[in-house]
Amino acid sequence: MTKRKIQMLWLGGFATITTLFLTSMVSVSAAPAKKAAAKKTDTMQIVRGAKAWKNNCSRCHNLRSPKELTDAEWDTSVAHMRVRANLAKADAEDIVAFLKASN
Amino acid sequence: MKNLLLGSSMMFIATLGATPSMAQIGEGLVSEGQISENLASQQLLARIISLEEELASLRTAVQQSTQNAAIAREKADIAVATVTKVETKIVKVEKKAKSATYSGSESDAKWHLAGYADVGFVGSNNASGNDSFVTGKFNPGFHFQYKDLLMFESELEFVTNSDGETTTELEYSQINLFLNDYATLVVGKFLSPIGQFQERLHPSWINKIQGAPAGFGHDGLQPTSDTGIQLRGSLPVGETRLAYTLMMGNGPRLTSESAVDTEGTGRDDNSNKSFGGRLGYFPTPNIEIGGSFLTAKVNSYMDPAAGLPFVPTGPTDSRYKLWGVDGAYTKGAIAARFEYLNSTRASLFTVTDDEPLGEIVPTLDMEAWYGQISYRLSNVGGSDFIKRLEPVIRYGQFRINGQDELAEENAQNRFNIGLNYWLSPTIVTKAGLEWRNSIVAGVDSETRYQFQVSYGF
Ligand code: HEC
Repeated sequence: MTKRKIQMLWLGGFATITTLFLTSMVSVSAAPAKKAAAKKTDTMQIVRGAKAWKNNCSRCHNLRSPKELTDAEWDTSVAHMRVRANLAKADAEDIVAFLKASN
Repeated sequence: MKNLLLGSSMMFIATLGATPSMAQIGEGLVSEGQISENLASQQLLARIISLEEELASLRTAVQQSTQNAAIAREKADIAVATVTKVETKIVKVEKKAKSATYSGSESDAKWHLAGYADVGFVGSNNASGNDSFVTGKFNPGFHFQYKDLLMFESELEFVTNSDGETTTELEYSQINLFLNDYATLVVGKFLSPIGQFQERLHPSWINKIQGAPAGFGHDGLQPTSDTGIQLRGSLPVGETRLAYTLMMGNGPRLTSESAVDTEGTGRDDNSNKSFGGRLGYFPTPNIEIGGSFLTAKVNSYMDPAAGLPFVPTGPTDSRYKLWGVDGAYTKGAIAARFEYLNSTRASLFTVTDDEPLGEIVPTLDMEAWYGQISYRLSNVGGSDFIKRLEPVIRYGQFRINGQDELAEENAQNRFNIGLNYWLSPTIVTKAGLEWRNSIVAGVDSETRYQFQVSYGF
């Protein structure tokens, strides 16, 4: 087997694993996504968000005051942090809800 | 008769004596009507005067209140005008806000400009090192988000180097595709997810000490970035969670010193991809324990201008392996971190600075670690000034085996102490001392004095 073929196998394998992983995840995520929509203005979400904020957002750097950014800026910043800090979507959503309620 | 006379004279006298009183009575009787008339008219007069006075004061009061009313009306008119002006302004601002910078939280597309900048001063006791102001960095970061679906993020780095030249680098430029609750696909040029320093701690408003630990910076053992794809996210594990990042990229290249180039490249020098990742586990929210690895094939260094001037006498590619463990404890004002990285580049035939025609270079082993503790005095009683202070201490080591020049330059024990003053959660002034003790015998050690101001925005 040539080097090139081994490369292709590697790539193919990675792609297959990724796809399998993703499709399994999509089915898992469908239900919580609906739940998330239903709990939009839930005060419990803000409480959960406050806790998740305290637990996650001071791990790498100081906490910023919720007042420092606007609602729209928090949307993008927390989306940014969701990737950087490997956060679950639900946690990121709770944190955004808390930040928007407190700014 | 004498008695009569006496009596009548006495009466006369008595009458005389009584005259005034009689006269008084007479007078009184006569003018009583006049007096009461006088009194009544005087009372009337007084009443009229007081009424007049009252009237006058009422008149002035009325005048005043009319005046006041006029002023009030004027003021009200001004107020109405101002309100109208403010209203039109608000409408304008709203219009502007909708069309410009932050496109309202209801809109689908949003963007945000962030990043950081720092300036500083470094002094050294080393004969070759001059005390100098360092321009530091300006790193603008751009985030564009479309709904919950996608985010493009990119960061540039502007630095003026010691020759006065300003360089621009693309720190990273990646598209994040939010796949589902637990996974995000990253495509593009990204910061190395290996360990914790590169991806999380290097921005100067986050880094508690000016400069990276030995071995973790741009001359270190770890690629700082790579170009490729990542799959990353978080998985629930009971009550705790597992953070995962898997990556595949072009992989690192060799430098003319036969070490690994730390900067990620836009084109692979071989079709063999680098493969790696990191797992981070959180037993409690305050503790993270991580493990990382990276494996890649590296090809022998070639000066692109020189072409292929050599006839290889050994393999022209070899394997580069990197692994590491890291840990962090962060609770309130305390942050304690530890990180260890170990890399091996196997022996190969390559062109080096010393051998332009190529030579077989031995295996290159590198090892770097640091431990760091910082404590913000925010809970310590005392003045506001003290509460903003944060002492920090870091000790680390960088070992290099297999390349003597690199070892002379970089292999060292590095000890830092510093005192930070936080003006805000993202604006910090750092003052520190750094001791660099070379591990290689005969190389001078160095003491540095560092001062830096950094702002994360
Ligand atoms: C894994 C470490 C880590 C965690 C956890 C983390 N951040 Fe960050 N954060 C960073 C880094 C690194 C940057 C700088 C990004 C850059 O300059 O590339 C940053 C930047 C920011 C910024 C500046 C604007 C921006 O988007 O770059 C804000 C605001 C922010 N973080 C808020 C948060 C919030 C809110 C949380 C909690 C959800 C959080 N961070 C959790 C590492 C982290």
